[in-house]
Amino acid sequence: MNRMQNFKNGLIKDNPVFGLYLGLCSTLAITTSINNAIGMGVAVIFVLILSNMIISAIRKLVPDEIRIPVYIVIIATLVKIIQMLIQAYAPALDSSLGVFIPLIVVNCIILGRAEAFASKNGVLDSALDGVGMGLGYLLAVLSMSVIRQLLSTGVLSMTNPFNEAQVLFSLRLIPEDFTISMFSSPLGAFMTFACLAAGLTAYKLHVQKKEAAAKAAANSQEAAK
Amino acid sequence: MNKSSPAYLALFLAITAGIAGGALYSANALTAPVIKANAEKAEKASLLEMYPDASIDDFVVVDAEDIIADHPSVQGVYKYGDDIVIFKNAVSGYDGGTVFLVAINATDDTIDSFKAISNGDTKGIGSKITENAFAESLAGKQASGELDTISGATLTSTPVVEAINECATIAPTVE
Repeated sequence: MNRMQNFKNGLIKDNPVFGLYLGLCSTLAITTSINNAIGMGVAVIFVLILSNMIISAIRKLVPDEIRIPVYIVIIATLVKIIQMLIQAYAPALDSSLGVFIPLIVVNCIILGRAEAFASKNGVLDSALDGVGMGLGYLLAVLSMSVIRQLLSTGVLSMTNPFNEAQVLFSLRLIPEDFTISMFSSPLGAFMTFACLAAGLTAYKLHVQKKEAAAKAAANSQEAAK
Repeated sequence: MNKSSPAYLALFLAITAGIAGGALYSANALTAPVIKANAEKAEKASLLEMYPDASIDDFVVVDAEDIIADHPSVQGVYKYGDDIVIFKNAVSGYDGGTVFLVAINATDDTIDSFKAISNGDTKGIGSKITENAFAESLAGKQASGELDTISGATLTSTPVVEAINECATIAPTVE
């Protein structure tokens, strides 16, 4: 139950991007198309799960004084391996994500989870935390990229990351004359981010209020007894 | 050994880095040949767009280290047939600049073909360099002579034209 709660927190309430405001740099930069978002999201999930598991497995061995350098070495190694795999097997993705793959190393979500969670919990819990947080990141970049791609190009489309020429689906929802190219620029990224983050905060406040009301009602019932 | 002594800490970090290095080495050994083949294929794919009737083996990669050292805009040199030398160039422009291929006939100094691979300048203005009209305006002209730029997009097209002139001087020396 507790584990499930941890997992769900990462997805919505403590969503790393819209809830904790972590890893914004890459989020704002790569969310111009669905393809980029999924590629980046999957790479982050992969690194996050593996780094959480490795760090959790060696947490009792690592001396406290040098834990951060050790974590960085582990994370950097994983990211570099992922980068090489992407370059080899999904070159189109590599050229569109560019520098943001190596920058996963300094993505605060990963080091943050290593320090805050994996270094204090077991391997299985850490892996689950990685899945939850990683899916949270994927959900965030995906929702941003859907909005941005739709408004800036009017088309929702996705190609096979392993074979650029193969289009999986392509759907024109807005005629070309009515697209807003601003949404492909950083300005559009900030606006989309702000709206989604505000939406999540509003949702969280709504839930809080409901819980508080339920508590108050329970209290008054008790008092009446 | 004391767990917080500097020697232990240094040893621990060294071992971590060693294991990481080993993992990277094996990942590199696995992927390096695939990455290299990909890069070559991608480069030759754009050459094929210039000469759709050719096959990928018709293009010979020229060892261009000296040329690239002397001419910073040149990224790669290929030979097609006996006369045609193809240059891949990257030049700066208004914003993102242009990456393009130009095929020059080394014997009579004419431009055989031009193809812009990418342009990062203003859409609709600098990006005109990627349109067919510009490529057609170049075809058959003397590569070392005066070439027309695109009016309204001189910041994009002037560096391209200058690079073509530069390539014209290199073309006869390529073997």
